[in-house]
Order: sequence, then C-alpha cells, then structure tokens
Amino acid sequence: MKFHIIAEKDLKIVTRDRNAIFLMFLLPMLIISVAGLALGGEFAQDIRIDLLVVDLDNGDISREFIEFLEDIDILDVDMESNEFAARDRVKNQEYGRLVIIPRDFTGNIMIGQNSELLIVSDPTEESQNTIVEKIVEGYASRLSTNVVAVKTVATYGVPAFDDEQKFRIVEVASQFAEPQPVGVTTETTSTTLGEFSPFTQYVPGFAVMFLLFTTVQVGSVSLLKEQESGTLRRLVIAPLRRAEIIGGKVASTFFRGFIQLTVLILFGKFAFDLNLGSDMIAMVVLISAITLAATGLGMLVAVLVTTKDQADSVSSLLVLTMSAIGGSWWPLFIEPQFMQDLAHLTITAWAMDGFYDLLYFDLGMGGILKEVGVLLSMAIVFFGVAISRFRFE
Amino acid sequence: MSDGTIITVENLKKKYNGFMAVDDVSFAIERGEIIGLLGPNGAGKSTIISIMCCLLEPSSGRVTIDGFDIKKNAIDIKKIIGVVPQEISLYPTLTARENLTFYGRIYGLSGKGLKDRIGTLLDMVGLTDRADHKLEGYSGGMKRRINIAVALLHDPRILFLDEPSTGVDPQSRKRIYDTIENLNREGMTVLLTTHQMEDAEKLCHRIAIVDKGKLIALDTLDGLLKQVGESDIIHVAAKEIPPGSVEAIRQIDNVQKVSTDNGMMTIQLLHGRGLLAGIIDTLISSGTKVESVQIKEPDLETLFLHLTGTRLRG
Repeated sequence: MKFHIIAEKDLKIVTRDRNAIFLMFLLPMLIISVAGLALGGEFAQDIRIDLLVVDLDNGDISREFIEFLEDIDILDVDMESNEFAARDRVKNQEYGRLVIIPRDFTGNIMIGQNSELLIVSDPTEESQNTIVEKIVEGYASRLSTNVVAVKTVATYGVPAFDDEQKFRIVEVASQFAEPQPVGVTTETTSTTLGEFSPFTQYVPGFAVMFLLFTTVQVGSVSLLKEQESGTLRRLVIAPLRRAEIIGGKVASTFFRGFIQLTVLILFGKFAFDLNLGSDMIAMVVLISAITLAATGLGMLVAVLVTTKDQADSVSSLLVLTMSAIGGSWWPLFIEPQFMQDLAHLTITAWAMDGFYDLLYFDLGMGGILKEVGVLLSMAIVFFGVAISRFRFE
Repeated sequence: MSDGTIITVENLKKKYNGFMAVDDVSFAIERGEIIGLLGPNGAGKSTIISIMCCLLEPSSGRVTIDGFDIKKNAIDIKKIIGVVPQEISLYPTLTARENLTFYGRIYGLSGKGLKDRIGTLLDMVGLTDRADHKLEGYSGGMKRRINIAVALLHDPRILFLDEPSTGVDPQSRKRIYDTIENLNREGMTVLLTTHQMEDAEKLCHRIAIVDKGKLIALDTLDGLLKQVGESDIIHVAAKEIPPGSVEAIRQIDNVQKVSTDNGMMTIQLLHGRGLLAGIIDTLISSGTKVESVQIKEPDLETLFLHLTGTRLRG
C-alpha cells in the first residue's frame, strides 16, 4: 500500500504553509484565550439546572446522594416530601425534573437488593435532563458496585484462597453486575464534577470549529486543487489502486485534524488548567471520531461542488452554521429546544456533547459511546456517498 | 525504426452523454516510432490518449499496449507507460527534487536508485542547478520540463505527451524537442498530441490527423503532403468580406476551396503565386476591404484544410 506516500506529501505541503499553521493552531489559541478571559464566568451563571428531590427513604445512602447533588455547582436542588405534589410541580413546569429516591433504598443496597432511582422530567428541557440523568446514572453506578459486592459475598462467602475460588467469585459477581442493580445503564461513574469554567465551553468549542475549517474547508479544497491541477490525474495514471489514492488523501486530512484538535485541547489544559477528565483513551477515541466525521464531510463537500472556489464558500457557510447552532460559540443548553434538536444534525453538537461528558462529567468511555457511535455513523454515511460519487477522471 | 507493433487500437469509440468524442478509430504504432496525433482542440486527441493511459474506459473497441489489454491489465500497462499531461501536474510549494521524489516513490523507486535517477533526469532537462528551488518560482517552460522528467522516472517503454510545447518559450521548446528525440534514439516509443504544426513536422515519423473524433489520415509527413498535390493556400485578412466576394473567388479557375472565418478568408488553389494579382483585384472589386494577403506552400495546415475544409487552429 502506498497511501502513506500521498499522505506524507500532503503533510509536507502543509508544514510549508505558514498561513495554514497560523489558521490551524495560533488563531484558535488566540480566540480561545480572548473569549475565555473576556467572557469569564458568563456560562457559570447561565448554567443553572433546577432539580426537585423526593426522598422516600430517608436513609444514610439517600442522604449522601442528596448531599452529592447539592455539592454540584450547576444544580439548584430543592426537597419535596410528597411524591404526588412533586410530580404536579414538574407537570406544571415549576421544575424541569424530579428525582425520586424509593423507600428502603438504603436498606436494599446494604443487603444487596436491586433498587431503582426514578427521574421524572419535562420533555421540553432535553439537554438539562440529559445532564441530570448522567449525574444520577454516575452515582447509581457507584452504588451498584456496592450491591454487586454484597450479593457476591452473600452468595459465595469470603475469604477465597485459591485461584479457582477467585475465578468463581468473579464469575458470580459478573452475574450480579448485569443488569446494573440500581437501575442504570452507564458503565462508568461520575463521582466528582469539576468547575464549568468558560474554557470548558470555549476550548472544545473553538477547537472543533477550527478543526472543521481544517478538515471540511481545507480538506475539500485540497482535493479539488488536486483535481484541477491535474495531479490527481497523474496519480490515477500511476500504478496505484484508487483506494490508495483516496486513502492517502483521507489519511493526511485525518492526521492533520487529529493533531490540531489534540494540540488545541492540550493547550486548554496547560494554558488554562482545563480538566480533561480521567480517561485519556476515551479522549483519544472521541477526538478520532470527531476528526473522522469531519474528514468525511470535507470529502463529501469536495464531490458535491465542482470548483475549489465553490468548496471554499460552501465549506465556510457549513462550518459557521454548524458552529453557531451546534454549540461551539455558546452552550447548547441555552438554545431553544427546536434549535437543540436541529443542532444534533451537526458534527459540532455531538462533538460538544462528547467533550462535556469527558471534560465536565468525567464519564469516561461508557459516557461517550452514544456520541462516538453517532459520529462514526456520520463518517460512514459521508465517506460512503463521497466515495461513490468521487470523480477520478 | 520498426521491430514490431507495440500499440494497437481497433475500432475505438468513446461516447459522452450522446456526444461521440472518439468515433471508430483504428491504428497501430511500431516500436520505436514517434507518432503525432494532430488536430484542433476538441478533436478527440486527448480522449484517445486518456483511454490508452487507462484513465478513461472506452465505450467499445480494443486497445493493447505491448501485448497488455487496457481493460484487463491496467496496472501492468501503467508500469510501462510514462504520461506527460497537458497541464503542469506538479506541487508548486515543493521543490523539483521533492516532486520527483514523491512521484518516484509512487512508482516504487527508493533509496540510491531513486536519488540517482532524479539526478540523471534533472541533468537531462537541464535543471540540476534549480533542483532545490520551489516550483512556484519556475518559468512555465521550466515547469514543463520537470513535468516531462516526472513521466520518465520509472524508465517507461512508451511515452505519451499531451500538447508538450503548449505555452512554452522557444528555448524550452527546443529543449523539449531534444529530450524527446534523445529518448526516441534510446528506443522509446513516443505518442504525442498536438495542434501545433511545428511539433508534428519536426518530431514525428508519422502523423495521424484527427478531426471530430475520427482518424482522417495517417502517414509520414511527405506521404500526407502528397495528398494535397500542388495546392497553395492564400490567407486574406479583411475588415469586411461581403458574401458576393466568396462566390466571385470561387468562379476563378484553379480555385479549389474557399472558406471565411472571423475576418479571414482562406483560399486553396493551384498555382497561387500566378493568380495572386487576379485574386486581389476580384476581392477589391467585390467590395472586400483587404488588409493583408499571405501565400503559403503546402504544409500540414494546407493538408488539414484539404481534408476537412476547415483551418487547424489552437
């Protein structure tokens, strides 16, 4: 396979282009710094999520859970003793959502019984609900570990001394672990939430926007330039498979985008102490998925237009629109619901959801599976259409 | 020159959206020949070359290159042909050496072999001293020479050149001619397309004339010119050519063909020099405002006019 030769050539051309380096790295760093410092605290004030809690248990664990919720900056937690009254207050849109802790919640967990935390929410506030769901799921996941341990010990007994016993214990424990005993589907826990600083918004926001410029605009223009200058024709005449030519172009755009997004996120960490969460593998997976989807969109633009000037203007329009409605410039949850729904047709919205999951909620790999899945699906669709319509002649 | 056929083209057709770009073309090229495909822009020359380079698929017909069928053995064919496209297919922000290195690696060359080959080719095209300069600072002719060098990296048996001397200065044009002749002397078969008479007359052993997708003649330069006979061509540039003047010229003895195009009248006739005074008189008396008159001996343009009734233009 010779696709790497094409990719290396493209990357060499980029490194020679001072404007490209400025647009890829220095300009976004400048904008992130200015926006983050100038608008410091704006979003911390904006992000307030009201939450009503009904504690039917009144046990140690339920009290710990409520304290955990109250410690989270963005949540305004109020208590309600009557479940029916609480449901009415949500129904009347006095509160956006309600968490009901069931009776004997503490007791059940202590003796290893399954339990269910119930969230009742106003469907018009989807993104705030999602945040609360992730917080509750994270805590429930941690409690589930306790339940599994209690069940395992109760079933098998301790201590275990030989390898065979240890193996059986693991086997028994895994039977209890699925489905999760405290009614959750999240695989990782979010036990601590960092501060939602302006940089939690602006670093990924502008990093994704400039990634889109690199992959959609520069990527599509680079492909069309190769077509218009005849160098693509020369590659087609060479003893190469067409897949190698496309592979080379895709690899260079992907690699360039991946490095750019990684550098900008790391810039956020080292310059502004941005919390990257605890799962670096998940971060790499998310960055890869975002870059792949954006690379696919760039290729799609290249096959849908006919000249590089058209690619330039169509890409700018696409990137700016996606950035505005997709949450690059302000958090998605301050947009009206219909805009949020519309936003989720864009790469930006799914990318930002993924970054919030990692940077703020620290949900790890389990928390970003949906976002990564959607981004990879987008990539498959974009590449599928683009490759089927690609003009080599 | 000849030791066997290296390229055969049989009943080749290529249709685009109902337009017949190549219409039932057949010919053969001998090993070691330089063949020119001559015709105006849009005649189908580049389409024929694109099919032979496996860039386009034919609608019907058969093409073999050194025994390989273009439909079945595209990769084998690509390894033995070199192609010089009409446009400068190079990366302007890379140096000449970097461009050659990139394409050399694409053709599977590496290490010392690649380095030596690049050195040889830079010498051949006379650009060794500029090898490490970016192409964006090169003149059009210098770029075109590197464009040719790229096609020779893998030492191909057959070289296709699409309009090799378009837009180059006389010095670069001479260098390009010398390069093609030297390569041919070393045994390389060359097929070039051109709408420049000079390319075909100076370089080609045989010339194929293509017009509107059809091959209308294929022979040596002498053989082709014999078809024109003793005809001369008179070009008349005029401010105004009334319709009656064309008819008046046609009535003169020995006039074979008359055509007008955008202030230019072209007259094909026998014994042109002797009739020149009478022609000018007829033009003036029929209301033509003559600006200049030029008489030409038989050449490829005369032939093209003779065969197609139209002038060969760029």
